[in-house]
Formats: sequence, C-alpha cells, structure tokens
Amino acid sequence: MKRSLIFILLLLVSASLMFALGGKESASDERSVRVAEQIPGLITPGVWDGQAFSMNSSIYEYLIDIDADTGELVPVLATDWETDDGSNWIFHLQQGVRFHDGSEFTADDVKYTIERTQDPSIGHLKKEDFEVVSSVEVLDPHTLIVHLDEPRPTFIYQFTDYNMAILSSQYDYDAFGETQPNGTGPFKMLQIIPKESAVLIKNTDYWESSLPILDKILIYFVGDIEASISMLEDNRVDIVPFVTPTIKNKLDKIDGISVISPYQEQRFISMAVDEAPFDDNRVRLALKYAMDPEVIALSVAKMPLGDGVYYSETPIMNSLAEYKELPLRTRNIEKAKQLLAEAGYPNGVSVPMYYASDHPFGKELSQTVKELAAPAGFDIDLKGYTRDVYLAQYWLNVPLSITGWGGRIDPSMLLALAFKSGGSWNESHMAEAEVDRLINLISGEVDEAKRTSYYHELQSWFFDNGSLINVQVPYLVALSDRVKNYKQPLTMIPQYKYMDVQ
Amino acid sequence: MDLTLIALRKLGSLLATLVIMSALIFILVEIMPGDVAQIILGQSATQEAVEALREARGLNDSLVVRYGRWIGNILKGDLGESVYMRGVSINSILWRRVGHSLVLAFAAFVIFVPLSLFFGVLAAVRENTLTDSVISFFGLATMALPEFVSGVFLITLFSVKLKWLPIVSVIPIGETLFSNLHIVLLPALSITFVMFGYVSRMQRSSMVHVLNSDYIRSAILKGMPKGYVIFQHALKNALLPSITIIGMNMGWLFGGLVVVETLFGFPGMGSLLMTAIKTRDVPLIEACVLIITIIYSVSTMVTDMLYSILDPRIRYQGGQL
Repeated sequence: MKRSLIFILLLLVSASLMFALGGKESASDERSVRVAEQIPGLITPGVWDGQAFSMNSSIYEYLIDIDADTGELVPVLATDWETDDGSNWIFHLQQGVRFHDGSEFTADDVKYTIERTQDPSIGHLKKEDFEVVSSVEVLDPHTLIVHLDEPRPTFIYQFTDYNMAILSSQYDYDAFGETQPNGTGPFKMLQIIPKESAVLIKNTDYWESSLPILDKILIYFVGDIEASISMLEDNRVDIVPFVTPTIKNKLDKIDGISVISPYQEQRFISMAVDEAPFDDNRVRLALKYAMDPEVIALSVAKMPLGDGVYYSETPIMNSLAEYKELPLRTRNIEKAKQLLAEAGYPNGVSVPMYYASDHPFGKELSQTVKELAAPAGFDIDLKGYTRDVYLAQYWLNVPLSITGWGGRIDPSMLLALAFKSGGSWNESHMAEAEVDRLINLISGEVDEAKRTSYYHELQSWFFDNGSLINVQVPYLVALSDRVKNYKQPLTMIPQYKYMDVQ
Repeated sequence: MDLTLIALRKLGSLLATLVIMSALIFILVEIMPGDVAQIILGQSATQEAVEALREARGLNDSLVVRYGRWIGNILKGDLGESVYMRGVSINSILWRRVGHSLVLAFAAFVIFVPLSLFFGVLAAVRENTLTDSVISFFGLATMALPEFVSGVFLITLFSVKLKWLPIVSVIPIGETLFSNLHIVLLPALSITFVMFGYVSRMQRSSMVHVLNSDYIRSAILKGMPKGYVIFQHALKNALLPSITIIGMNMGWLFGGLVVVETLFGFPGMGSLLMTAIKTRDVPLIEACVLIITIIYSVSTMVTDMLYSILDPRIRYQGGQL
C-alpha cells in the first residue's frame, strides 16, 4: 500500500513541480513589437503569396512606396525618376545601400529584379505587367533606363506592388529565398522556426540612419484568427492583422486595444460571361437587381452602408480619383424575375458559387448573396474552399465566384489583370472589344483629364453590361495601445520602420 | 508461449501494419484536391512552369514510383522538404514539435493516471454510497464533454476569470517550453477531463469485481488490514483493464491531440498537422501522419506486451486476448 501511495504522490508532486517551474516573460530594455500573423506559404518576392506582410515588408524594400498619410508616391531605393511619354523610365538610385548579406545595392539589382519577372521557371506574379518592358539599360551603378514597347504613363506604380521588392543579383533566391531572405530593408531575419515564429532585428546599416526605431520584431505564425486575438487579449502580442468586423465589435469594448482600418479592400462577385447562364447580360442584371446593398453591408460587415462598407458594380475603388459616382441600383425582385424569364429562365436558374471560406467576409458575403438572390429565382449552391485550394483549383474556371482583391493605387494595373482579354487573372473571362479599347486608352494616355474620362466611360459600361458586383470592405488591424505610428498604405505593405512602442 | 516469440510476432504484425498504413497515407494524401506544383508557383504560373516543376519534383512519375521513392528516403531518415520552405528539411520542423507533444502527453499522464486510479478505487471501496455516485457522475460528465468544450471551460475559468494561466499556450519567442511549463497545464487538464471518466470507471468496475471475489473475502475474514487487502491484493489484479485503456490511448496522447493543441495554440505535432493540412503542405502532412501512425502502432504493441507480462494467462493462450 505504501509503495502505491508513494507512486501516486510522486506523480502528483512531479506534476506540481513541472508547472511551478513555469516562467514569466522577462522584462527587457529592447524596443520590440510582437505580431501574430498568418502562417506564410511562399515568401520570396515574385511568388510571395501575400501572407506574412509584417515579416516580408520589413526585410525587403521597393524602388518607391506610397506615403501612408498622403497617398503620394515617395522615393525609397530610387531617389527620383523621370519619363518622356511613359515609354522610357530613368531611375536614379540611392547610394551606400547594402543588402543584408553585405553586398552593395546597384542598378544591376534593379535590372535583375525586373528581368526576373519574365523567368518562366519562377512563375512570377508580375510577369504580365512587365511583359511590356523591352529592355533595361544600366547607365552607371546608380542609374538605369527601363525601355517599354509602348507608352505607359502610370507604369511607375507597378513598382509599388508587393511582389516587386528589389532583390540582389548576387544572391541565390531559389536556394535560400524561403529560409534566409536577403533584402535591403530596415530589419534583418535573425531566426525563423518554420510554421511557428520569426525574429527580425534592426538593420544597423540601414541607409536611413534615424530608422528603424524598433530593435526587434517578434512574429508568431498563428493559423487561427481567434487564437491570435486571444494572444492580443492576453498581452502576448501587440498587432493582429486581418480582423473581422465581428471581432472588431468585441475588441472595441476592451481597454488597451484598438482596431484600425488603414485601407479598403474589395470583394469581387464575378460572373463568367462566356458560359451560361451569365453569358446573357439579362441574367447578370437580374442578379444585380436582386441585391440589396444596405442588407449586404449590415450582414457582411456589421456596418451601415457608406460607413466603411461600399457597394458598386464597377472595379474602381471609391477612394480613388478615377472613381465615378453612379446611382445604386434599387432592389427589384419583379424586374429580376422578368429579366431571368426573358433570358430563357422562367423557372429560375441554378448556379454554383465558389469562394474562399477562410478569407475575411467570404462566408458572410456568400451566404448573404445566396439569400438575397433566392427570391428572384437564383438557386445558388455555395462551394467554399480554403483560400489556397480555391485560388489554385477553382477561382479562374467557375461561373460565379467571390474573390478578395487588394487595392491598386493605379487602377489600370487591376483592369489589365482582371478585365482585359487574356489578362492572367481575368476571372469573369471578359473579351469585350469596347473594354479592351478603353483599357488600352487608359494605359497609354498621358493627359490625366482624358485618362479620367476613359475611366468614367468604362465604369458606365460596367454598370450597364458588367460582370461584377464590388463590395468594398475595410481591412482591419487590431493593435494594443503600446503600438505607435502604425502605417500601412493601400499597397498593403506595412511600414514598420516608422513604428515605435511605449 | 515464450515472451520472445510473442514479441517477434507482434513486431512482424507491427511492420506489416506500418507498410499498409504508409501506402494508405500516401495514396490518401496524393489524391487530395490541389496540384502541389500549382500551389508552389501560384495562380499566374504558366503551364510550362508548372510542368517543369512537376517534372523536377518527380510528380509526373507513377504513384508506385513516387511511393517507393518516399519510403526509400524515409528509411534513410529523410522525411523530405516542406513545400513552402525550400531548403528546410521536415526533420528540423517535425521533431521539435514531437518533443513538445511528448511533454504535453507526459504532463497529462502524470495528472490523469494517479487521479483516475485513486478515484476509481475509492468509488469501488465506497460502492453504492454518495462518494461512489459523485465520482461516477463526474466521470460520466467529463467523458461526455468534448475536448473543445472542456477546454473552453478551463480557459474561461483559469485564464479569463482567475487570470492564473495564459489563454493561449504559446511559447514566448526566444524561450523554451521547459522555461514555460505552466502553458502545458490547461491542455493537460483538458486531456485529463477526457481520460478521467474512462479510466476511473474502468478501474471502479474492475475493482468492484475483484473485491467481491472469494480470495479477497478470505483475506478480510482472516483479519488482514483493509488497506493492505485493497492495495496489495485487489488493486494488482484490478489494474489490468485500466492499463489496457491507458495503453490504448497513449498513441492518441502522443500524436492525436489535434483538437486540444489547436484550441490552446500549443506548438505540438497535432497543431503542426493542422497547419500542414490548411496550407496543403503535402510532404509535411505525410510525415506527420506517418509519425502518428508509428506512435499509435508502437504504443499498442507495448500495451499488448505489458499485458502479456502482467497476465500469464495471455501468454498461455498464444498471445491472444
């Protein structure tokens, strides 16, 4: 009996000791910020999947960037630039900049970064946008000219895309890009534990001597947004991106935490125009007449329409100068039914709708669209998949889809990608001569007023004939009150170099 | 039957199980939707680039060839590379997580085994009294609660209300699990909730059966102290069913804690598997599932062997239960 009792007691004592040994985080003089981010897939610029923005945007840099406060272009690795009619672009580069591996940043690196977009073995996400580049001419170590096949007056904005971070021509990104990223950014990778965490430390050789302010960025890769929020509430992290409106409402009641919206994102409800039923514009219009923007705003984002959530039938964000104010279509079920009947669907139509179920707003928006469309005769079969499976397997090959689109400071980048014939992300399979003509005019027009008029013409066309319902939703980030100067412009690239903590 | 012979038979059966399971795992993971090459290169990759990568990674080879290559590499100790971390071997990701899961499993073990056995014996000794009813009710209630319910309850009580323990069992960056063992407590308690009911009820039932047997009655009538009879004579014979239950669940404890680890954000193998599935990291999924299968199979074999050692009758029946 004694031996059994001793055994049981020993087990319990060892358990108590184990837990009593538990330590608390030690205090430190270092200025560090802690971030809970999604678990990244690929992180090498070019094939970077858009996860782990805090990590990548702190390691890499761009020729130019967007000022998060003013929305203006600001120089980063390029000191300035000039162009004739948009056909030839001269870049003057910063001097004295070094990559994290110690190599010097020169015009050859920019040339390499641009030419890398056309390397077929990479599958570069900016391939189509840079096909217009005919050659890159290095004039001296800090000056180069990018020659284009045709004028592109807004081509400069292509360099703000997050996949256009400047890479070193001397570095083997195929072998080390995913584990030892090498950029010129304000922070260097100190350690990465795959699928778990990463530590970035201040780049003491950073070319802007007063920056960065922080000493360290501690990044936890957390797959579940609820777990990330728990860490924020438990004071284990300071920043959680990709917060949903439901979580925002909860966090708004907690002292010491605030939720901000640095910019707007878009959710495109896209109808494929090359196959039934949406090859008939009357069916597309019927779906639009079945929608109720007020209901969508409230049920999807828990916010009233016009207060952080916006609705339109064109692809241009309402914050941009190119946006054209068009009247909201009033919900009219009878009209929708009539249009469906005229299109040959008097008894309604069944159609599957594909979406990314783990992307913010995905589930809510798909369910709301299904419910709103049902009275008009649309029997929508919801097909939700995880984001990677949705994008890789379904997105570009389905009749009806919901996809998250980040903003583009130059909307022509998005138009060429998503609505021009042959665009690589042409999800609605559009091949409209009128749309192509207008996009070409927009891309090549030097006169800003004329360019804006083409944009307006295009938006009117979309309102009458388009394949799109666009729900603009806020991108939300939760911050602890420790965090000061959180900056993240429309490019989606957070600027941690300006950040400070209390 | 000789113990060595039993061990060899079990080992043979274990190997056969592992070969069949490894083939099943490979086939099941390979037929999951999604093209690995397409996932690696992204949506805008050209068909030529996808094809080139498929060729380079041997994805165009037949299923049998790919399986043979996979098994061959595993036998050499190479579990492959994560899809998303070129240059990082799965070995360097996986074993750290296995270590964490072992600590969690051990923590749960040292809590639920003595507690369950003690209360099982107590309920049997106090059969049909209020104590018995309370223990039985508590056992049933905890057994019926899924881990994600008991886990949320524990988080609410110990983390949100009392603020004694962290809500999320994450290891602070730059520190080790051993300097943060308190983060293991809530997940371990959650596992205890599940296991307590099974083991304590099994222990009670077996103990009641033994306590009613003739030799125990004789021992008491001979005037032996009750405690001595219970712990020296009855408990030894009543432990076998509990050992079976504990042994059968060791595999689950070491590798099957997907729900518990995900709920608490604990960086173990269960949460790694969840991450691998979410990001469709095929080689990592295959490696995780294979390791879990091995742990399950080995722990079942060890339990069988233990049973044979503890109960000679099993040996005489040719190792069959």
